[in-house]
Amino acid sequence: MTMFKPKLNLQAIVSVAVMLIVAFLVILPMVFLVEESLNVGDPMAFPPQEYGIANYIAMFDEDLHVLVNTVVIALMATVMAILIGFTLAWILTRTNVPYRDKLERLMELPYYMTPLVGALAWSIIAGPKSGFINQLWKAGGNSGDLVDIYSHFGIAWIMALFEGTVAFVMIAASMKSMDPALEESARVMGASKLRTMLTVTLPLVMPGVLGATLFVFAEMLGSFAAALVIGIPARIYVITTAIWDSTLSYPPDYGRASAMGLALFVVMFGTLTFYRWRINKGSFTTISGKAFRPRPMDMGRLAWLFFGVCILYVLVAVVLPLAALIFTSLQRFATVILSQAEFTLANYQTALSLGPVRVALVNSLSLGFGVATIGVVLMAFLVWIIYRSRIVGRGVIEYLAMFPQAVPRLVFGLALLWAWINMPIPIYGTLWLLGLAYLTVMLPLGVRTLAGVVLQIDKSLEECARVCGAGWLYQMRTVTLPLLKPGILAAWLLIFMACVRELGVSVFLMGPNAKVIAPSIVAAFASSGTELTAAMALIQTATVIVALAILFRLSRGVTKELS
Amino acid sequence: MNTRIDVSDLVIRYGDATAVNGVSFTVGQGEHLTLLGPSGCGKTTTLRAIAGLEQPASGRISVDGKAMFDGARKINVPAEERGVSMVFQSYAVWPHMTVFDNVAYGLRVRKQSKDEIKKNVERALDLVQMRHLADRGASKLSGGQQQRVALARAIAFSPTVVLFDEPLSNLDAKLRAEMRVELRELQRRLGITSVYVTHDQEEALAISDRVIVMNVGVIEQIGTPEQIYNSPKSRFVADFVGSANLIKGGLTAPGTFLTEGGVTLKVTAPHTPHGKETEVALRTAYINLEPQAGDNQVPGTVRQRLFHGDFVQYIVECALGRLIVRRPPTQLLSEGAAVTVSFSPEHCVLLEG
Repeated sequence: MTMFKPKLNLQAIVSVAVMLIVAFLVILPMVFLVEESLNVGDPMAFPPQEYGIANYIAMFDEDLHVLVNTVVIALMATVMAILIGFTLAWILTRTNVPYRDKLERLMELPYYMTPLVGALAWSIIAGPKSGFINQLWKAGGNSGDLVDIYSHFGIAWIMALFEGTVAFVMIAASMKSMDPALEESARVMGASKLRTMLTVTLPLVMPGVLGATLFVFAEMLGSFAAALVIGIPARIYVITTAIWDSTLSYPPDYGRASAMGLALFVVMFGTLTFYRWRINKGSFTTISGKAFRPRPMDMGRLAWLFFGVCILYVLVAVVLPLAALIFTSLQRFATVILSQAEFTLANYQTALSLGPVRVALVNSLSLGFGVATIGVVLMAFLVWIIYRSRIVGRGVIEYLAMFPQAVPRLVFGLALLWAWINMPIPIYGTLWLLGLAYLTVMLPLGVRTLAGVVLQIDKSLEECARVCGAGWLYQMRTVTLPLLKPGILAAWLLIFMACVRELGVSVFLMGPNAKVIAPSIVAAFASSGTELTAAMALIQTATVIVALAILFRLSRGVTKELS
Repeated sequence: MNTRIDVSDLVIRYGDATAVNGVSFTVGQGEHLTLLGPSGCGKTTTLRAIAGLEQPASGRISVDGKAMFDGARKINVPAEERGVSMVFQSYAVWPHMTVFDNVAYGLRVRKQSKDEIKKNVERALDLVQMRHLADRGASKLSGGQQQRVALARAIAFSPTVVLFDEPLSNLDAKLRAEMRVELRELQRRLGITSVYVTHDQEEALAISDRVIVMNVGVIEQIGTPEQIYNSPKSRFVADFVGSANLIKGGLTAPGTFLTEGGVTLKVTAPHTPHGKETEVALRTAYINLEPQAGDNQVPGTVRQRLFHGDFVQYIVECALGRLIVRRPPTQLLSEGAAVTVSFSPEHCVLLEG
């Protein structure tokens, strides 16, 4: 016989401890950032000697063009991404396009390409003068440049290509969850295909599209890689690159950077909150929890045209950039003249033997392994607390764990930088801090992935173990963890990939003795030749592709097991 | 009969909502007790509280004389230490284990030797005729097979008390009927004390020693299946269990009931009448359509006939209102036929209120 709630007391302690740790990782850096943004005295002094709002005023006084650029580029990119996403979602869920299942899988690829690699590739494809497209244009007897990626539109184009996948996934989900009977009953009432589309399908899908628009717009505001690679050489600054720039100036203006970062955070947070509110309001929810397989419309010959559209997207977002990078990485000279190509493997040799690059690659891989391994254990624990236990305050823990999602990565990097410079624990400039930072920013990804698995597991599977006489630990070991295994592996791979390609936090926290790959690629792009950068980017991409291949194989295994 | 399970004044709350509001009952040694009621009546919550999966707000639960929960003495034994077993509605058969491992789970927890485990698992699998599938992965079983594995697992470690949470509700009708028979047989053979939850009144009547009818968190009636069916206490029980006609009116003398339509009926009261009763219940199956000596008799006309196969349902209009009457399909009456509605006073049950 045991006393009343003895385990609950232990649980309460665990709960408070977890809450404090997560809050320490997630909220504390933001507090430091707020404090620094109000610093109008010596920018390097902490705590600040003088407080004021001069940094915020300066943003509107001196950097108004940056804000305008940010909004213009984000809007352009959002419109393009939604157009891409909507078109693809409609084709892949509502038409009888051939090879639909395979195409759907292919649509995920751009997401894993990363905007950084995409931006590098597109600077090679569509750069002025030496860009492949312009070389071909001139070879065709024309003069001047056909395209110039170093423009507002160019930045937006790259962002849209790689965010298009996200829009596709979100819109497709809302289209898939629509009961086909809603459309069929319109047809039965005598409405034509077109009329059904206009009066039933579109109004029902619209909330999903609007939701995706808000979400994508928020992401675009905080996006960094394309603006960094393309924007800085073109002297087109958006808010993320302006933040980055003010920390590089001498003396670094952390106050200004923090103020801009917070402003960006507030706008992004507001947009995401509005998005969530819209989703939850759900007066229009077509999502009934049940996934329908809508009856696809017969498109006849047009189906092949739609097939072509899907392939075109993959070509433009994945194949073409990869081909350009591979081609460039095999060249002897930096500026590639298509007619005088000279092939060599020397760049890979250089990339792999060049001390700093090799170290950066090894560091990134080790961080990926370490963070993914420790991360899944911690996140599985968090997920269990949030969705399975009855601990008071699990809602708060969930909120805290998902919080980093609402903070632009770069701003979070800045916050972590400022927090850990001023922390009495001397890990700034080491891999330890990078690891800790990765762990923090990967929380939403890991928790979301694992939660998906946990929620699928019927609660009575666990309860049954208890009734059979198993204690909590025994139940975790024999029932919960084995059931979670496929999900845990998938989460591990996702976190690993995300670590290897991490840029926003890494640029701020990387020390001279703790370099990682993504910022090194950016540095190489700025200082050495395109051909070496291309080789590095491809090595990074190859790592991600290997992990992705395992993930795909694994997830197929999982679906097979479930069916 | 020795008391195995004793539940008293049980109250269970979810936030502000009270799911179970002061429920008390006992279950005797080897008895099969069923909690019956519509969804949301608190039956499953009560069962889960006995298992230790739900924490009550107050009350007492004891098993074999040992307090498992006692709100006043602040005792709450965790589920794994209660020694009761349970079959879940979703079966909860672990998909990552074989049939054998599933059944062996409780035995391994109890650190039995390999030989004992093998012996006990095989015994349990034999009881549900699943031994030939012992090495099969549990995810490759049909619904009925999963149900059997869940049952074998629940009895493998020889628990004295087994709880059943709507174990047959996910099976199709034919299989459900079969399993019902098997379950009853198994329960008798092993002498297990069991508490069974279902919303299916037919199932409850068929397999139970005693039935508890619950509604909105309280007990409406406790009794044997025959008592519940023949002498419903309340309008809810009469309506929920079986099918009954409810006739409004009032007592004029003991055993004499004047309906609103002005008909005087001889009725029986299972309880001591308090005089304020307003309704009598009349089972649809207990009504004859030709006059029987000593019965209440009312002339009427058949308005509708629905042929169900196993029975024929008539709607008969008479001075008592529109009565539903179920007769065997041997003699069919046509719509419009003049009949005499006739039923014995003992089947005309005065409801308590």
